[in-house]
Amino acid sequence: MAGRRVLITGVGSRVGAGLAARLERDPRFEHVAGLDTRMPAAGLGRTELIEADIRNPVIAKLIAPLEVDTVVHNQIVRQPGPGMSARAMHEVNVIGSLQLLAALEKAPSVRTIVVRGSAGIYGAEPGAPQFFDERMTRLFPLRSRFQRDVAEIENYFETYSRRHPDVSCTMLRYQPAIGPSLDTQVTRYLSLPACPTYLGFDPRIQLIHEEDGLNALVAAVVNPVRGAVNVAGAGTIGLARMVRTAGRAPLPVAGPLFGPVTSLARRAGMSRLSEDFRRLLRYGRGVDITRLVEEVGFRPRHSTVDAVQEWSRTRSGLRLTPPVRAAA
Amino acid sequence: MVPNPFGTAPYPAGASGRVSSQSTREVPPRQAQDPLRRARGATPPLGAALSFMRLLRGGLDAGLDLPEALARGASALPREARHTFQLALHRLEGSYREDEWGFDEEFAEIVEPLLGFLYDRWWRVEAEGVRNVPSHGRALLVANHAGFLPWDATMMGAALMREHPLPRHPRFLVLDWAFELPWVSTVIRRLGGVAASPYNALRLLGQDRLVAVFPEGAKGTGKPFSDRYRLQRFGRGGFVELALRTGAPIVPVAVVGSEEIYPKLGELPALARIVGAPFFPVTPTFPWLGPMGLVPLPSKWRIEFSAPIETASYGPQGADDNALVFELSERVRETIQQTVYANLVRRGSAFV
Repeated sequence: MAGRRVLITGVGSRVGAGLAARLERDPRFEHVAGLDTRMPAAGLGRTELIEADIRNPVIAKLIAPLEVDTVVHNQIVRQPGPGMSARAMHEVNVIGSLQLLAALEKAPSVRTIVVRGSAGIYGAEPGAPQFFDERMTRLFPLRSRFQRDVAEIENYFETYSRRHPDVSCTMLRYQPAIGPSLDTQVTRYLSLPACPTYLGFDPRIQLIHEEDGLNALVAAVVNPVRGAVNVAGAGTIGLARMVRTAGRAPLPVAGPLFGPVTSLARRAGMSRLSEDFRRLLRYGRGVDITRLVEEVGFRPRHSTVDAVQEWSRTRSGLRLTPPVRAAA
Repeated sequence: MVPNPFGTAPYPAGASGRVSSQSTREVPPRQAQDPLRRARGATPPLGAALSFMRLLRGGLDAGLDLPEALARGASALPREARHTFQLALHRLEGSYREDEWGFDEEFAEIVEPLLGFLYDRWWRVEAEGVRNVPSHGRALLVANHAGFLPWDATMMGAALMREHPLPRHPRFLVLDWAFELPWVSTVIRRLGGVAASPYNALRLLGQDRLVAVFPEGAKGTGKPFSDRYRLQRFGRGGFVELALRTGAPIVPVAVVGSEEIYPKLGELPALARIVGAPFFPVTPTFPWLGPMGLVPLPSKWRIEFSAPIETASYGPQGADDNALVFELSERVRETIQQTVYANLVRRGSAFV
């Protein structure tokens, strides 16, 4: 049997490039192609890089001749950042997914789709189950913009897989990732001089270590299952404990003042806390990873607590009170 | 006698054998000067605090980081103060444990003295039949519910922790709305409360834990004082379904005394709508005294755990049998209602 042929969207991101590097080394994968507007920083070997915008319908013409059997959709932006407004994020996420699916209609060789989605679809709710399992997406109304985007993306892929019963479609629902080489909303938050928290709230947070996040993606590509799969480290950590473990001090802000205070801090250079991240800071979220362990066959090596501890170790110089002596 | 500024109280003269019996009479009783006993006093001795500061300063000058210098300074404190201090320091560094539900056993131990005070002195709880609670394996405690804050849940937990031969912390299901509240949500979570979702209960029971539920829910806490100890409808019997699905025995629990802690005289629906609460109570003290109005009245309590009702023999498919669910639910409710009445009689007057 010939090796598998894979297309990775969003190959310019750290996770996309990491996945391409892993698959290139794997002899089971005959051909690896990557699609993005920006090219990966690290040099890749035999990966064929295609420079194109996923929002552009021209990708249909670029994808068809690749004759891929597996598509990894990794171009889902989780946080607005520098050079990525909330509107552009929505376009890349929703319109990009639509264009990709339209292109796949013209690529009959595809058998497997793996989407690196988000557990943000569950939202963060005070009355939520402490551990969402994959069937619990409809328990609460969709509140934030990102949550609605994720729900829309899932909807497109669900419809697609209903219409194409021979294509197996895996929707990985990632909890926020943390890791020394990542720049995510969580790592930005934990790098603040003081981490704003909601006064009187100490929710449970669940994270995934970047290494486990990549390994889970590889595992899902190698062993695809149908439907949604939660991806997270085992267990949860209280927000206050997370902040303190990271060597930071929490800065409790009363609920009604949280918005004004963070937008003031934003003018002073702090990165924006998105709406769903703010809800996460208030109510937290945990997911059940039984399906990941038992069906995909991947058990994350780092628990949530380990991931935070390791991250804080790699950030040397981050201590609870380094400046005391320096100021004296 | 002149207080020793360095807190290193010398042993009383009586401790040495050479002193004559005459001088021992002038010395205050020996216990008053025992160094260990002094350490337990409300304020740490001034001398210890001074040497703490000195060591801290020395540590910082020697180039240690603040946490290390603090730890070094703590060695000058009396033993118990040192213990408390180190505990606080550890918590500040985030090195404490929580389980996946957010239950923080250390926190539970820290608030134990407060709960113990409420249990022994404030409400003078008398618990009966704690041995009816299985000491291992899954079980569902079903209790009547009253009071706007889940004090009854904490007292049930305290009764089990203090009087059960093999104590374990029960996990309790709390009305979702409590998790909207600052502090309340945090404390409830750390003490083992989870949102009242059947998924939570199933997972907890699947982990062979002790789970407490209050099927009356907001109907129980929100009823007027004149309806006290009249059990409300038990929801739709969801708790029986949980027990049947997991084969957990049901232990009916009757709590007497919780109805008097916040006697509800009326309510303000408009205010409830503004704050998003299920109801906004008016009691003799709330909201007139502000936060002080949340201090519960010192009624006298009795908690009785009845014999467990076994559910495993019906099998998990019993959960789909509505007739069975209603029958069991009614049986549990009837048991609790009868036990509540019996304990009301045995308790006598509500406050003294």
